[in-house]
Amino acid sequence: MNQTMTPLVDPRIWDETTAALRAAAAKLLTDGTVAAVVGYVAGRRSGSAMPAIVSTAAEAETLIFSPSCTNNLSLYLTRSKKSIGARGKLAVMVKGCDLRALAGLISENQLQRDQVVILGLACPGVYAAAADRRQPLSAENIAGKCRECSVRTPENVDQLLGRLPELPPLEDSEAAELARLEALTPPERWGFWNGHFSRCIRCLACRQVCPFCFCEQCLCDRNRPQGVEGSPRPAGNTAWHIVRAMHLAGRCAGCAECESACPMEIPLNLLNRKMAQELKELYGYESGTEAQEKGPLTSYDEKDDQSFIK
Amino acid sequence: MPKTITIQNLHALLDRLIAVGTRVVGPRESGSMTLYEPLASGAELSLRDLPRRSAKEAFFPICESILSYSRVAGKTTVSDPDLSQLPPTLLVGARPCDTAAAPVLDAVFSWDYKDEFYLERRNRTTVLGLACTRCDDACFCTALGGAPDARAGSDLFLSPLSDGSFTLEALTEKGEEFLGAASDLLRSGSAAAPVPLAAPALPPFDLAKIKGWLDGHFEDPLWAEIAERCAGCGACAFLCPACHCFDIVDEGSESKGERRKYWDACGFSKFTLHASTHNPRDGQPARYRNRIMHKFKYYDDKFGQTLCTGCGRCVRACPVGIDIAAVLDEINNK
Repeated sequence: MNQTMTPLVDPRIWDETTAALRAAAAKLLTDGTVAAVVGYVAGRRSGSAMPAIVSTAAEAETLIFSPSCTNNLSLYLTRSKKSIGARGKLAVMVKGCDLRALAGLISENQLQRDQVVILGLACPGVYAAAADRRQPLSAENIAGKCRECSVRTPENVDQLLGRLPELPPLEDSEAAELARLEALTPPERWGFWNGHFSRCIRCLACRQVCPFCFCEQCLCDRNRPQGVEGSPRPAGNTAWHIVRAMHLAGRCAGCAECESACPMEIPLNLLNRKMAQELKELYGYESGTEAQEKGPLTSYDEKDDQSFIK
Repeated sequence: MPKTITIQNLHALLDRLIAVGTRVVGPRESGSMTLYEPLASGAELSLRDLPRRSAKEAFFPICESILSYSRVAGKTTVSDPDLSQLPPTLLVGARPCDTAAAPVLDAVFSWDYKDEFYLERRNRTTVLGLACTRCDDACFCTALGGAPDARAGSDLFLSPLSDGSFTLEALTEKGEEFLGAASDLLRSGSAAAPVPLAAPALPPFDLAKIKGWLDGHFEDPLWAEIAERCAGCGACAFLCPACHCFDIVDEGSESKGERRKYWDACGFSKFTLHASTHNPRDGQPARYRNRIMHKFKYYDDKFGQTLCTGCGRCVRACPVGIDIAAVLDEINNK
C-alpha cells in the first residue's frame, strides 16, 4: 500500500528553499522591516505543514517550505484576519498561484503593495488533498492545479527564494476533466453536480479559505430576508455553490484552496475554471500576478459584448 | 463458544432486514469516499475505510424538518412531523470512535430538555459496532481512554477474523434480540485468528490534568497561538462524532415552509453573534477556545464525560492543519 513513488524532483530542493526562507525571515524580523512573517511550519503528523504567524528570529527557524505547504497565505492579509494585520507590516510566503490572489487583493484595494513584503517561493508543486504526505511529491500525488501551472517562479516579488529544477511534463488532469464535463449533455452534467452538491455539508470551508471571500456580510448568511437557504439540503447547496462561483468570476485567482479545503471532495475548482474560461472568451481577462486597475466585471466598455440584451 | 458470521451471511442478514423495511445504515462507497449511508443491499457494505463523516447522522441528521406550515386562503395550518413513522434502524459497521459518541450524546439530548427527534431515532436504532483494524496518524482513540475494540455504545459487536468472517457478540438486550432473529445465519466458533487491532501511536493523555489546566486558563496566550490561523469554517465540528450544536431556522415562503434543525458550529463567527451586533466570541481564538473547553471541561463539568472520541476526523479535515491531538499534547505537557 505504501509503495514509494518516483519523486518528481530532488526532494532536497525544499531544504534549500527552507534555509533561504529562514534566513530571509529572520533578517526581516531582526532589522524591524516587518512585525511578523506569515509562513508555514511543520505539524505533528509526519510530513504535514500548516500556516503560522511568526514574529521572532527564533520562531523564523521553524518556518518550512515543502510540498505540504498548500495553503494560500494571502488569506491572512485580508480584512477577515484583521488581528494579524494589526501587528504591523507583514511579510508573506507566496507561491506563484498565491501571488495571483495577492495581486487580486491589491487590485481590489484590500491591501497596499507597500504594506507587505512578498517572499516568493520557487515551487515545483504541492500535494493533492488526498496525498499521503510521507511520500515524495510525484506525478501521481501532485495537486491538479500544479499540473498546468504557469507561475512556478513568481515574478514581481520582493525576494525570490529557492530555485526551480527542471520538471518532467505532466498531464493536465483538470483541463481534461473540464472538457469531459463540457462534452456531457446538460442533464448528465446536472447529475454530476447534483451528486457532489448533495454531499455538501455547508461547513463553508470553501468560503473561509478563499482570499476573495472577505465580505463581512455574506449573502449566504443573511436571514432577513434569506438570500440562499442556509440549511444543508441539495437545493440550497446548489444555490450556494453557484452563487459562490458567480461572485468569484473575474476575481478568483485559481489557487484552488476551496477545492482542497472541501472535506467532501467537491471539485470546486472546475467551477472556477469554467468561469475563468468564460471571462477569457468574453473580456480577454485572465488573473495575473500584477495588480490591475479594474476587474472585468467592475468596469464598463462600450465595446463589451452586449448580445445578451434582448 | 462465540458466534461467528461470514461476510456473505452478514450481507444476507442485512438484505433480510432491508426487505422488511428496516433502515440499514452503514459504511458504503459514495462518490470518492466512504460515508455512512442507508444501504440498498447488504453487498453495499464497505468496511475498509473509516467513513469521512461520523455515524452521529443516524440519530442527529444534518438537517431535519421539525415543523411545517401552510397558509391557504388566510388559514394557516401547522403540523409536527410524525415521529412514530421513523423506521427501525440498524447502524452497522460503526467504528468504536463513532459508537462511543452515542452514550455521550445521549447525556445532552436527554438532559433538561428531551430532544424527541434525537431520542426517537436513538431508541429505534440498534448499533452493530465493528472492531477497528486500520488507523492512521490522525487516530488517537487510545490516547483518550478509548480502544479499537471498545464496546461503548454498541448493542452488538463484530470483530474481524483472518478468514474474512467475524465474531458477533450481543452486548445489550436489543443486541440479544437481534442475534436471536439471526441465529440461522450464525455459526459457533471459528478456527480463524482475529485480525490484529489498529494501534494508534499517541500515548494516553492525562485528561484530569488537561481539565485542571483548562479550569484555570480561560484567558491564555495559547488560544491565539493555536487559533489565529483558524479559517473559521465548520469542517471540524461537522465531521466530529460528538459535536452536536444545531441551529433552528424557518425556511419557506408566505404560503408554505418548514422549521429546520440543522448542524451549526462554534467556529463560525455568526454562531454567537447577537442581534445587537455584539459578538461575545470576537475572534477565532475565542471560538477555538470554546471548542476545546466544551469538549474537555464544560461537558466534563456537566456530564462527567469527554466530548471527543479521538477519531481524528477534525485533524484530517482542518484546512489549516489545526490538530486537536497536538493541542491536547501541548496542554498535557504544561
